[in-house]
Amino acid sequence: MTTKTKNTRCTKCILSCSFPKIKFDQDGICNFCRNEIYFTTENQSISNAREKILKLLNENKGKGEYDAIMCYSGGKDSTYTLKLALQKYNLKVLALTIDNGFLSPVAFNNINRTVDALGVDLITIRPASNFFIPLIKASAFHQIYNPKTQTRISSVCNSCISIINIAALKLALEKKIPFILAGFTLGQIPANSIFYKNNYTFFQESREPILKKLRELIGNSVDDYFCISDSLLESTESYPYNINLLCLDDPSEDEILTDIKKLGWIHPEDVDGCSSNCRLNAFNNFIHTKKMGFNPYELELSHLIRRGKLTREDALKKVADQADITSLKPILQQLGVLQEEIEQL
Amino acid sequence: MAEEIQNKLLDFITRSFMVEKEEIDLDKSMIDEGIIDSFGLIEIATFLEDEFQIKITEDKMIRANFGSVTKIVNFIEREQGK
Repeated sequence: MTTKTKNTRCTKCILSCSFPKIKFDQDGICNFCRNEIYFTTENQSISNAREKILKLLNENKGKGEYDAIMCYSGGKDSTYTLKLALQKYNLKVLALTIDNGFLSPVAFNNINRTVDALGVDLITIRPASNFFIPLIKASAFHQIYNPKTQTRISSVCNSCISIINIAALKLALEKKIPFILAGFTLGQIPANSIFYKNNYTFFQESREPILKKLRELIGNSVDDYFCISDSLLESTESYPYNINLLCLDDPSEDEILTDIKKLGWIHPEDVDGCSSNCRLNAFNNFIHTKKMGFNPYELELSHLIRRGKLTREDALKKVADQADITSLKPILQQLGVLQEEIEQL
Repeated sequence: MAEEIQNKLLDFITRSFMVEKEEIDLDKSMIDEGIIDSFGLIEIATFLEDEFQIKITEDKMIRANFGSVTKIVNFIEREQGK
């Protein structure tokens, strides 16, 4: 058994030698591919989740103004999920987009074309840039999140997604909407987390150390975006379920792209190989790779390879299609970050 | 009984969260120790429901029940005894 060797990737998936707890055998196959890590009952978990989700949807839909809020980024996965929610599960959906200031203009067109084609109401929230930019910098340059979390997502993406999650939860509680949908795929989330009750109080307790660090770095405005007011919580009788419908269908990337192109969806050119909507992703990946030694998409892409949903060659192309420091200049300028600050990481 | 529950739980935790058994302090919070994040709590709760055939309602999702491996094992024992 060999252990970590510099510049080595698993010969079956694309996990690199810097990935935590990775070990390679004599054929260069990692312990993740050999099923030594992660529970192996994924298909059973999906099957259980499907049964429970269908029951929940049938019991709760059609009772209010909307059945579900869709966290809609305009990327390929959330576009496909929005279509699924309407056309396969017959849900009345309110789409919610967080404009972080870095969405590709093509992504905005995709969002508008999709909601128009599907007949969906859309709410867009743009966090104040005097909060969001410091949040991005704090996430990029400080150790905010659990290293475990960073095996599957970059710190900056995690901060942005946390804002989206809380905004969706606030809206769901205010409008008494029973479901929150997101476009996560298997690999981005574990199979036994395809759906869960969004018990804010319980989760918030575990997030407090993170919030404390963020408050110290960027001030108490963190609470406006990462917390829910006591008055809203006091009027809450039940929390919504978060559901990732895409995990139940488990389509390949080609199937997703073929389907959403019928809605007029176009792949943006100004994003990196792992994103289909956000220009900031290239910066996030660059910083993450520099800090952690591996691309934050390796876990997800490797999982897709193991499930036969993506070829290793295509996955390698995605992680190879990353920005260098020169091509990041427009983003650095928008963030007010100097090249030297990154080089010092 | 408690030992069997603990073994199943530790088996799940070690295989799901890239951690060795020796790294887990049974009486400390796995979040505070950096073993899991809040998503890990969802994973564990779902695993417990499926593996031990119990229903974890919102009022039971508290630190007193999920704050450590020992607390989780005690919680499962109480739920199974009902």
